Amino acid sequence: MSAAEERDESLRMIRDSAAAVAPRGGDLKRIRDLRFTEPGFDRAVWQQMAEMGWVGLRLSEDAGGSGLGMAALCALAEELGQGLVPEPLIPVAMAARLLPSDRLGPVLAGERIVLPAWQEQPNSLETVGATALSGGRLSGRKVFVPMAAGADAFLVTVPGGLALVERGAPGVSVATEQTQDGGHFGTITFDNAPAEALPSDALPCDAAEALDEAALATSAYLLGAMDRAFAMTLEYLKTRQQFGRLIGSFQALQHRAVDLQIQVALTRASVEAAAATLDAGASPALRQAVVSRAKARASEAAMTVTKQAIQLHGGIGYTDAYDVGLFLRKAMVLGSLFGPAALHRARFDAVSPEDEEE
Amino acid sequence: MTAMPNPEPEDLNLLDDDTFRLVVRRWVEANYPPEIRNPPKRLHWAENKVWYMKLAEKGWLCPAWPREYGGMGLSASKQLIMIEEFERHGCARTNDHGIVMVGPLLIAHGTEEQKKFFLPKILSGEHIWCQGYSEPNAGSDLAALRTEAVEDGDHYVVNGQKIWTTLAQDANWIFCLVRTDKAAKKQEGISFLLIPMDTPGITTRPIITIDLHDEFCETFFDNVRVPKWNRVGDVNKGWTMAKALLGFERIFIGAPKLSSYALGRLKLVAERMGVWDDPEFREKYTRLRLDLADLRVLHATFVEQVRRGETLGPDVSMLKIWQTELFQRITDLSVEIAGENGALLEPMEGNRELHPSGLFLQARPSTIYGGSNEIQRNIVAKNVLGLP
Ligand SMILES: Cc1cc2nc3c(=O)[nH]c(=O)nc-3n(C[C@H](O)[C@H](O)[C@H](O)COP(=O)(O)OP(=O)(O)OC[C@H]3O[C@@H](n4cnc5c(N)ncnc54)[C@H](O)[C@@H]3O)c2cc1C
Repeated sequence: MSAAEERDESLRMIRDSAAAVAPRGGDLKRIRDLRFTEPGFDRAVWQQMAEMGWVGLRLSEDAGGSGLGMAALCALAEELGQGLVPEPLIPVAMAARLLPSDRLGPVLAGERIVLPAWQEQPNSLETVGATALSGGRLSGRKVFVPMAAGADAFLVTVPGGLALVERGAPGVSVATEQTQDGGHFGTITFDNAPAEALPSDALPCDAAEALDEAALATSAYLLGAMDRAFAMTLEYLKTRQQFGRLIGSFQALQHRAVDLQIQVALTRASVEAAAATLDAGASPALRQAVVSRAKARASEAAMTVTKQAIQLHGGIGYTDAYDVGLFLRKAMVLGSLFGPAALHRARFDAVSPEDEEE
Repeated sequence: MTAMPNPEPEDLNLLDDDTFRLVVRRWVEANYPPEIRNPPKRLHWAENKVWYMKLAEKGWLCPAWPREYGGMGLSASKQLIMIEEFERHGCARTNDHGIVMVGPLLIAHGTEEQKKFFLPKILSGEHIWCQGYSEPNAGSDLAALRTEAVEDGDHYVVNGQKIWTTLAQDANWIFCLVRTDKAAKKQEGISFLLIPMDTPGITTRPIITIDLHDEFCETFFDNVRVPKWNRVGDVNKGWTMAKALLGFERIFIGAPKLSSYALGRLKLVAERMGVWDDPEFREKYTRLRLDLADLRVLHATFVEQVRRGETLGPDVSMLKIWQTELFQRITDLSVEIAGENGALLEPMEGNRELHPSGLFLQARPSTIYGGSNEIQRNIVAKNVLGLP
């Protein structure tokens, strides 16, 4: 087998393994039942995901990971997106990327859920703000932490590195707000909370890089979600009849479907290219450029595709009982997490001078 | 400054527009129930009744109906001023099918007896209507409807199912298209029936929307007996009347109301998110504002047609397309600038006026209901542009 064939084979295996949690085309009953509950995901399923090695998929084998790259993480995330899996793999994998190896064991094993808390403002990719650590005490506030109610600990970005703080530590409070997809965001307030300092020079990776990887994996998840919503829509166009004909025979709808297919194809190409670029070892500027390109595309395309999926279904698309709406509501949430499209476009423009293209 | 007229003339058309606006504004401010300002979702009758009754008492429920039937007979510009002032104050939509559709239907096609019986009951809030057109297999292809009405002496016996019946659970009457001749060409076997919802054999089951609201229903008819007296117009002539009525629905959905409301919300979200002074945002905002300004004047030309008593042509579909897609573009931008806040289930910071995701979801079906925008485009292409 050539290296490329070997890589394709391992990606295929990862996709197949995802079926244990998110079978292709499987029903979404589990996902519906978990909506608007706390913590909004299933710890037993999480355990299963960890046992399959997913949390450390992207980590080196030295660190206890699988030594597979972003291409593998993206392939997996895409499958999870197909099934709208709510377990917080992308954030926890981001935390795992940042933690020193002696802290990783229980996280990789699924026993301990550590969620990154990096954001202080909406519409931002800035990891450092006012939250700071001083003398082993953490003070400040982080926002939009997805699935925060399920965390055992938070990995908090602070000037000079990270702080690891237990969810139940004195001075830590978590306020949650429900999101349209049935999950929630946490606003975490630290009031002189005891925390462990993890200075940046002792970390395997910097926060900005881990954040970019999470943004890219989120793009892949969105790709999976839009792809499935689109597949459901195509199926509907091929079965629903009006005026004595399949609605998919109306040219206006055929053209619309083609335009959506183009968005899905562009997203797939952009996500795969970005993953390959990161796996080949990219400079920070190049990494930012390709990740922003992929996230800008995925966020926007996911909204376009899922909105049209509803339109093309007519009345039934607007009901909660019909699954296609779940995909729109997921796109509303993940479209903005780890940076909305406009922000990524702006960053792309800033880091990628025009003459570098072609 | 414009002075308040004292006393108010009975025919408000006699006021100049500025004075009329002031009269409406003052009255709304003094009479609108504060607890239902800017509701985040479409209200049920139990919640909006208080407003309906205020309008009814004042005689302002039906601005477009002729005065002889208890309407205001207002000019187009004054109808628009009312829409704008209600909008400005954040007034809720009422259960308005009787006002928007049944009234005009009966005024045009009802018998004198029917007008005398039904119109006052719409004006008094005694009859609350819902619209029973769509069926599971007859949406865009409405003429394919199968709910059947079979003659039995001086009654019809109705069997079948309607779906997407907005606020049917609140209504005590439903206006239905039913099949009265199965052998005829599909458009030529349809009649118009008015049916009390408490007739034995009718059941409704709410359907939850993606906005998690029980806004519409399935409505089932099982051997429902309806007096023939309740048929509007001639037997098998329901389709022609329904088509004329769709014009009223389209002008109603095409009104600047929803977009104007959404634009006001967009501004608040922009201020809250700190982008109100951002030139890039302002360029987008101004584009939407101009799209709305032109919608207003286009809408006014159709309203004027109605007031002159002309039948609306197929070109009113353009209004429906433009308004609903503008509404969506405005709410798209709101969600976009709100960033992560645009994903929240509840309003931001508990402030009902800052709920970009809610308004975004509510804007989704506007391109589906009242005839989908694809169907509207087909109509314009064929019947306005004369394309083959
Ligand atoms: C919120 C809401 C409230 C509603 N309230 C009411 C109500 O109170 N009473 C009532 O009777 N109905 C109501 N409806 C129903 C509404 O009128 C129908 O949903 C609408 O007519 C579309 O029909 P459908 O849902 O069966 O979709 P379909 O007709 O199956 O359409 C599916 C898709 O195919 C497209 N399509 C169909 N035919 C063509 C064609 N020839 N060319 C191109 N594209 C085509 C449609 O545009 C749509 O995108 C409501 C709907 C909604 C969403």
